[in-house]
Amino acid sequence: MASPASKSRLLIAHLPGVGDGRSVCRALAAAALALLAACGTRTGTTAGGLVVVDDAGDTTRLARPAVRVVSLSPATTELMFAIGAGPVLVGRTRWCDYPAEAKAVPDVGDGIPPNIESVLAQHPDLVLLYRSPQNVDAARRFREAGAAVLQLDFNHLADVSRLARLVAPLVGHAAEGDSLATSLDRQLHQLAATRDTTHAANVLIMAWDQPPMVIGAGSFQSEILTLAGGHNVFDDVTAPSATVSIEAIAARHPAVILVSDTGVPGFARRPEWRVVPAVRDRHFLHFATPAFGRPSPRAPALVRALRDSLAAAR
Amino acid sequence: MRNRWPWLLALTLVSLVLGLALGATRIPPSAIWLGLRDASADAAPVVRQLRLPRVLLGFLVGGGLAVSGAVLQALVRNPLADPFVLGISGGATLGAVAAISAGLTNPWGVPFAAFAGAVLTLVLVYRLSLVAGRRLDSGVLLLAGVVVSSFAMALVTAILMLVDATRVQNSFRWMLGGLWAGSWTTVGMVAAYGSVPLIVLMVRARDLDLLALGEEQARHLGADPERVKRLAYLATGFLTAVAVATSGAIGFVGLLVPHAVRRLWGPLHRALLPSVFLAGGGFLVLADAIARSIAPPVELPVGVVTALVGVPFFALLLKRRLA
Amino acid sequence: MILRGGGLTVRYPGVAQAALCGVSVGLGRGELVAIVGPNGSGKTTLLRALVGSARLDAGQVEVEGRPLADWSARALAQVAAVVTQREDILFPLTVRETVELGRYARLGSLAEPGAIDARAVDDAMDRADVRGLATRRTDTLSGGEWQRVRIARALAQEPRVLLLDEPTAALDIRHEMEVFELVRRLAGEGIGTLLVTHHLNLAARYADRLVLLDHGAVVAEGPPAQVLTPDVVSPVFEWRVAVTSWCDGAPQIVPLKPGE
Repeated sequence: MASPASKSRLLIAHLPGVGDGRSVCRALAAAALALLAACGTRTGTTAGGLVVVDDAGDTTRLARPAVRVVSLSPATTELMFAIGAGPVLVGRTRWCDYPAEAKAVPDVGDGIPPNIESVLAQHPDLVLLYRSPQNVDAARRFREAGAAVLQLDFNHLADVSRLARLVAPLVGHAAEGDSLATSLDRQLHQLAATRDTTHAANVLIMAWDQPPMVIGAGSFQSEILTLAGGHNVFDDVTAPSATVSIEAIAARHPAVILVSDTGVPGFARRPEWRVVPAVRDRHFLHFATPAFGRPSPRAPALVRALRDSLAAAR
Repeated sequence: MRNRWPWLLALTLVSLVLGLALGATRIPPSAIWLGLRDASADAAPVVRQLRLPRVLLGFLVGGGLAVSGAVLQALVRNPLADPFVLGISGGATLGAVAAISAGLTNPWGVPFAAFAGAVLTLVLVYRLSLVAGRRLDSGVLLLAGVVVSSFAMALVTAILMLVDATRVQNSFRWMLGGLWAGSWTTVGMVAAYGSVPLIVLMVRARDLDLLALGEEQARHLGADPERVKRLAYLATGFLTAVAVATSGAIGFVGLLVPHAVRRLWGPLHRALLPSVFLAGGGFLVLADAIARSIAPPVELPVGVVTALVGVPFFALLLKRRLA
Repeated sequence: MILRGGGLTVRYPGVAQAALCGVSVGLGRGELVAIVGPNGSGKTTLLRALVGSARLDAGQVEVEGRPLADWSARALAQVAAVVTQREDILFPLTVRETVELGRYARLGSLAEPGAIDARAVDDAMDRADVRGLATRRTDTLSGGEWQRVRIARALAQEPRVLLLDEPTAALDIRHEMEVFELVRRLAGEGIGTLLVTHHLNLAARYADRLVLLDHGAVVAEGPPAQVLTPDVVSPVFEWRVAVTSWCDGAPQIVPLKPGE
């Protein structure tokens, strides 16, 4: 699985001040390089500043790295701590629970949609929003108040390293961001390469039972499962999740069912579910939701753990 | 068109057959037939434990909702009434969402909570509408239903604002309604709880005819409007509560089917209630069969299909003039 | 007396003057009594009080000698039938089905209609002259036809007392006369009829007794010739009238133009 990080390469170049001819040549060279790189770039620089194009297509400019950052999704909060930018966080959502240090950051409420007042009360210079139609208005309001705003698509495993590279320079941790991304890409690439494709277990990832909701190929949880050597029985569903019937589940013969609760899940005791052999024989695999609940740098560890569990369950 | 029973029985048969024939797995008719008769056949588990109960549940719920709608339209003397106009679906939703948000692990937790919520609103609206002593005023009944329903839904919104995204999504999926809970247990419960109100209503069919004329007229003709109203309200409320607790608030069945049947064959309740039961049951089973088959394995919410199928059909009916 | 109301007083909430004040009225077997009076004199309230639709602040009603409170709705409906001024049609039935609803008082919720019921229904439709409309839907009828259908429904109850509130309001001459002829015939068969009407002159020719109400009280009562005199009628109706005599002896009111 090729790392999509190669798609967006960050190039920070500092334009020199007016000076001698050598500087001018250097300047021209730098400008040419910047122009070339800009074809596939997301982030660049202007006169002593940082330029970012976020996932909504908006361009944001920062004169210097942000020092008061509000992160409005658990995934970005975790990412910030992972690249060492925890100290610059001045606000997080109430759902941001990882790592433990995140709890010390002030809670500003929900992330979708955010509480404008409590976010602005922290006087942020950068706000990281989860991209959603409900957050478009909030983004505008934050910009009007003078903060830089990034709306980010944070739905796939690839987004972790991509966004690490995108956001890290804005908070002055470009090096950590790059090394995290590179390490992550390498680990995931290695996991993909060492995947046992011949013995892929049929796995069902169940989100809910009333009505039955399953995780489809469009979700990062499915990506983790695939990397771990499992086969999502509903990989023909392109959406992240879908409502299906018990009959459809039975027809796909999952050998293992991934659930978030511990113990035998409630629905397993209902008679109509016994038609599914995996339910009848209690072939459940428990995966704690918080770790499994968002794309994060913990993904390779999750993949390895899941790989071991699947092998043990076989 | 004159004689309704051949048509209604045909609809029942067609819906049952299609409901059994269609599903996520392709099972040839012969295998379905074998599965029904022989418990050890390959298709037997799917046909007997999943499809048959689901079809039966659909029939009972559709029929129950249609009967509720028909009776409520006479009770509040308003052809726009549907089974949810008296706040019951709001209460059921509140119960279900509370249970989902609390993370109940009991497999029957959500349906029972929904049922409890429904019965609570039933009682609340009933008490609210007892103005001036023992009189059950129809206008106040409607108003109380709207008020209690709005209150319940406001609470639902408040709860959803406070819980995490997963529970919100799960709640919305439940609220859309559907027949996923089809099992012999559910069918048994719906049949047991729903049959009493159904029988009560059918026995009192003539009284409902009189009630539909207006309370004063009904009294002049010898009926006891207060008693009939109480009975009708509690019976339909209970019937709707049972339906909504198992399948969520499925719309249009309770509103359109009574109208269609009345338009085709007249409003006298003796024949109307059984007809509406069969028509509503068949309609919902067909709608569910369609909802399951359009984009497999994904299931459309059945309420979407009842609206998309029901509304044009009803428009067609409005255009026809039947003597 | 098949129907008697004594000292009836009805007050509507929030209204200072009583709608009915100490009104006593009686109806005998085979009698045709007309209740007349200007608008707002309490005619409809009196009718409603007599059938228990209006709450009495004072007075009592007796049907066939027993207090009204002792009668169940069903038992009462077998004796007394009421046709109100107006009735909206929400769910249209056929005429026959509508008249058949009148049999509820005899059948109740469950009993299957038999030959007796079919005969009573046919009979009622014949007398009200709606037999020819039997298969028509009620929402396709004219105002007068609907009125007669409701009278047929009341007759299907096989009542001994008939109470009609302005039954001829929407009817043309022919149908109006037919209604009065009908109730006269019914009186001959022993059915007592209490009729609220605006039509003083027809009431004068058909009724055995007139009861004249004004502001909730009885102003005059008795045979038409006794009640319909200028000294009585003019002050009550606040208009000068003259009274002539028809060939059958009934007084006929002629309202006078201002100059006459």
